[in-house]
Amino acid sequence: MGLREAPTDDILDSIGEGLFTVDVNFKINYFNRAAETITGYKREEVLGRLCKHIFQSNQCFDKCPIGRVLESGKNIYDMESTIRNKNGTVTPIKLNSSILKNEDDEPVGGVVSFRDISDLEILRNKFTDDNQFYGVIGHSKAMHEIFELIEEIADSDATVLIQGDSGTGKEMVANAIQMRSQRKKMPYIKVNCSVFTPQLLASELFGHVKGAFTGAIKDRAGRFEVADKGTLFLDEVAEMPTQMQLQLLRVLQEGTFERVGESKTRKVDVRVIAATNKNLKEEIEHKRFREDLYYRLNVIPIEIPPLKDRPEDIPHLIQYFIKKFALLYKKNIQDIDDQALDLLLNYSWPGNIRELENIIEYGFARTRDNNNVIQLDKLPPSIRKSSVNYRVSDRMLEKSDLTGSVSEQKVAIRQMLEKHRWNKTRVAKELGIGRSTLWRKIKQLDIEE
Amino acid sequence: MSEMLGNQYFLARKFVQAARELEKALLKRPASKKIRRKLIICHLQSGEMNRAIELFVPLIEENIDTIAKSDPMFDDCPCPEIIYDLEKQARIYQDLFSYNLKLGILWLYCDVDKSIHYFRMSEKSNPENTLIKKIISLLQEYQLKHEQVSR
Repeated sequence: MGLREAPTDDILDSIGEGLFTVDVNFKINYFNRAAETITGYKREEVLGRLCKHIFQSNQCFDKCPIGRVLESGKNIYDMESTIRNKNGTVTPIKLNSSILKNEDDEPVGGVVSFRDISDLEILRNKFTDDNQFYGVIGHSKAMHEIFELIEEIADSDATVLIQGDSGTGKEMVANAIQMRSQRKKMPYIKVNCSVFTPQLLASELFGHVKGAFTGAIKDRAGRFEVADKGTLFLDEVAEMPTQMQLQLLRVLQEGTFERVGESKTRKVDVRVIAATNKNLKEEIEHKRFREDLYYRLNVIPIEIPPLKDRPEDIPHLIQYFIKKFALLYKKNIQDIDDQALDLLLNYSWPGNIRELENIIEYGFARTRDNNNVIQLDKLPPSIRKSSVNYRVSDRMLEKSDLTGSVSEQKVAIRQMLEKHRWNKTRVAKELGIGRSTLWRKIKQLDIEE
Repeated sequence: MSEMLGNQYFLARKFVQAARELEKALLKRPASKKIRRKLIICHLQSGEMNRAIELFVPLIEENIDTIAKSDPMFDDCPCPEIIYDLEKQARIYQDLFSYNLKLGILWLYCDVDKSIHYFRMSEKSNPENTLIKKIISLLQEYQLKHEQVSR
């Protein structure tokens, strides 16, 4: 059957998100299959009933998502809430909400899509420890300095520019800044500037009026309006066309803009966090990025070091991802073996944390449930090949030298400890250092037996 | 936004806001029984007794079932809880006429006999009030018709 002929119900039943619609009286008139799965209610049990009687959320009274859209005229995205399932358990959800209107632009119903975030909640609770800062994992000095900076700027509304290679976790740092800020309860909107054509990016950021361009069939608020009083995260800001950079500069300076195709000036109060993996100074030299915008964005600069420069974070990240995938894949894998760890500690990580996550997921997929440790041969072949070219530790051991990089030192000491079956006195003697110096090194480098 | 937003406020028991929005909706759809049925409760709860009566009388003249046949669960009618609170507070009400009148109107959403009882009580406080006499007469006529049908 072609898409055009497919009944709407079939399409909506095929999506993974729960979805229901209500009429003008807030009585449910559509309930898809995923909604049945999440809530435990059958469609026929809920149709014609008031949504507040089904979902029994505290927010039904104070913050009904459809009511909020009706009041503000702005759709809701990713609002966290809870619902009570048929069996009485409370499920945390994230929801989107919007209004259905008739030809006269009058509301005739509402639509709410939602997804169960129980697993995410478990993960959040499970991984809240000293090595985490609002979801960002970092044990290294460099990351702790970033965490301190985020604490220091918690009361500020100043623009932040996050720079770092791909996969270093720029968005996670932006999330932490938002969660720690005074605007944490206000809208938090994210836009990736690289995925839109220049015209669509303008419309996405500033909105448009009906007829502004082909396909603009009705007025639409842009992300700046939606984020009013909140925070806007502009990812890959260096990809923004130069003309648009000028418009962004104006919003940052004056808080004003116009929707595409409209002359009316609108004013918003939005805190901007921008991120890029490009060297903006080079972009300025090549006239691809406006210098004035750079200085406006770069009020609080944050540079996230690449993973290869903070190997002490690697074991913590590995543990985090192992716990995460153990929950998601429901496997009893708890660790990675020493050889595999050594290999990962010495890898150059061009793809940074994202690459590490992918590698652990690969190892998870290949490790059988009866083996609770990811072994070296379960890591991707490309990573294993790299180990052939990386035998710094041998060289270091020969020299009994502890002056290499952190990762080199870590590998060298670990191998020496294994060689002497963790007898620290013998290791210290062979290295020609005191036992307490060795102990300090082990602690400092976070080497565990 | 008015009717749907008014309905939302009504569900959230924000009667002042609901009255404001539903009045706007009524301007567009003056014949809507659903809107008027909710507005009566909103005005009673906001202390706008005169406006509540102004809506109540024509509505029962048109069709008492609009109010009497409401389902507290299906329609999320707040009357049972409002009545429960009101009857508990009987002793603190100085103006018995208004108190009984309010209960008479609210009880009609739940029980016709009780409604007539309270309208009669308010009539005792104000025997010359023709509007109350008219309401009682309409309700008694309705009750009689229903008794005949059930026989």
